[in-house]
Amino acid sequence: MSAGPVPLEAPGKRWQLVTTAALAVVVLPLFLPQVFSAASFLPHSFCYLGNSSLITLHVVSDVLIWLAYVAIAATLGYMVWRGRETIPFNWMFLAFGFFIVACGFTHLLEAITLWRPVYWLAGYLKAVTAVASVATAVLLPPLVPRIIAHTRAAVASEQVRAELAASNKELEAFSYSVSHDLRAPLRAIDGFSRAVLEDSGDKLDEQGQADLKRVCAAAKRMGLLIDDLLTLARTARSEMNRTRVNLSQIAQEVATRLQTTNPTRQAEFKIAPDLIVEADPGLIRVVLDNLLGNAWKFSGTKPNAVIEFNWQKQDNEVVYFVRDDGVGFDLKYSEKLFAPFQRMHDEARFPGTGVGLATVQRIIRRHGGRIWVEAAVDQGATFYFVLAGK
Amino acid sequence: MTQKKILLVEDNADDADLTLRALKKNKIMNEVVVAKDGLDALAFLFSATEPRELPGIVLLDLRLPGVDGLEILRRIRADERTRLLPVIILTTSREQEDLLGGYRNGCNSYIRKPVDFSEFLVAVQQIGAYWLALNESPA
Repeated sequence: MSAGPVPLEAPGKRWQLVTTAALAVVVLPLFLPQVFSAASFLPHSFCYLGNSSLITLHVVSDVLIWLAYVAIAATLGYMVWRGRETIPFNWMFLAFGFFIVACGFTHLLEAITLWRPVYWLAGYLKAVTAVASVATAVLLPPLVPRIIAHTRAAVASEQVRAELAASNKELEAFSYSVSHDLRAPLRAIDGFSRAVLEDSGDKLDEQGQADLKRVCAAAKRMGLLIDDLLTLARTARSEMNRTRVNLSQIAQEVATRLQTTNPTRQAEFKIAPDLIVEADPGLIRVVLDNLLGNAWKFSGTKPNAVIEFNWQKQDNEVVYFVRDDGVGFDLKYSEKLFAPFQRMHDEARFPGTGVGLATVQRIIRRHGGRIWVEAAVDQGATFYFVLAGK
Repeated sequence: MTQKKILLVEDNADDADLTLRALKKNKIMNEVVVAKDGLDALAFLFSATEPRELPGIVLLDLRLPGVDGLEILRRIRADERTRLLPVIILTTSREQEDLLGGYRNGCNSYIRKPVDFSEFLVAVQQIGAYWLALNESPA
């Protein structure tokens, strides 16, 4: 007897039951006394009166059926093995496979008994086939409603996927419009206000000039807001490409860039070396850009500020953190810290749009991770984050 | 030596005026031809009846009514006479799709117009210094 379908590591115990039952009905008859005995029976070919055409017809047909059934069962077994995580009711396919193999061997025995009258073996094999057929026949009907439900669910989820793809496309068109059409008027507001200041500034009093400068500042601020919103939107729709990423290296690059924006500032970056994770390199850069950028910004009023990027083990998880010893904030008001446009400090002292941490949180969540914060007024802030493994 | 013209393809009158202003502020005195849409630009470049002298550079906006910027770029690159023309995309979009589209179709440079006019002045100054003075283009 063939080994039957390939054993598999499918969830659920049904397939184990099926395989065990199959093995039992195959192996047990072999211990019966007369199984291989041909006794004094006549070979089946006698029934065909030795007619060679008739015998050939039976032999060729039976052997072909046997080969085909074994091949079909092997294909089913292979399919269940390959799709063991996704194919529903895979134990059912194994039951089918076994039943088909058993059928195949009854045909093989038909051919063998033409010359070797092992009718007991043939009979036992038929009994095994009967058990497998009956079992399959009994197991199948209760599955029908579940299989139908499964197919419907698959169709429905395909619809949801298509709708999602369509709305993603729409969102893409929308953010394209935002990035293009909303910025153009801002350029005009800023540009022509400046033109007035340059060409006819002398006709304006001090107040008028100051007001016009505020118009320019507001336009620039709205430009920043649009850019940050676009980044936020992009983090939601961009594809994730997880690879090995050296967080320390990115952090170092961000730190170097921050230091060149203000070379005279005395601040120290302590970056732990070689922190390697599986993450999307582009998105994780946005995270470190924002967290280190914030740390740099909110420790700006402090001489000799220290900004740290490191990790610690906490409840068996690797937790990364970015710590600064800057102005900090009252945790009481941190509830909405990660919502867009929420700010803890006044715009004049610490400029920003309030979109950065919302973007960071979204990226961390897309990586299956979490982010949280510890802070106190005038005692700095520490942002912790976890990136889930693949 | 006469200075080469600049072809500015820009449908937004405000943006066109601001670009002209920025060129003037940077003392870039080359004559500027403004094409208000794609057809205008194509007519200037490919007019069959009166073959004109080609511009020194093309400043190309991407989103234009009718024939868009990428299509103009494709036609410029497809024509033997204009295929070596320096084309600088000067647009609002920073979308990856536009950037890739621009470079795939053979733009020489891609610059995003900043909201801040003083930044825009610097950008235009650098475009002028690089493409009209420093860079050697084939005649």
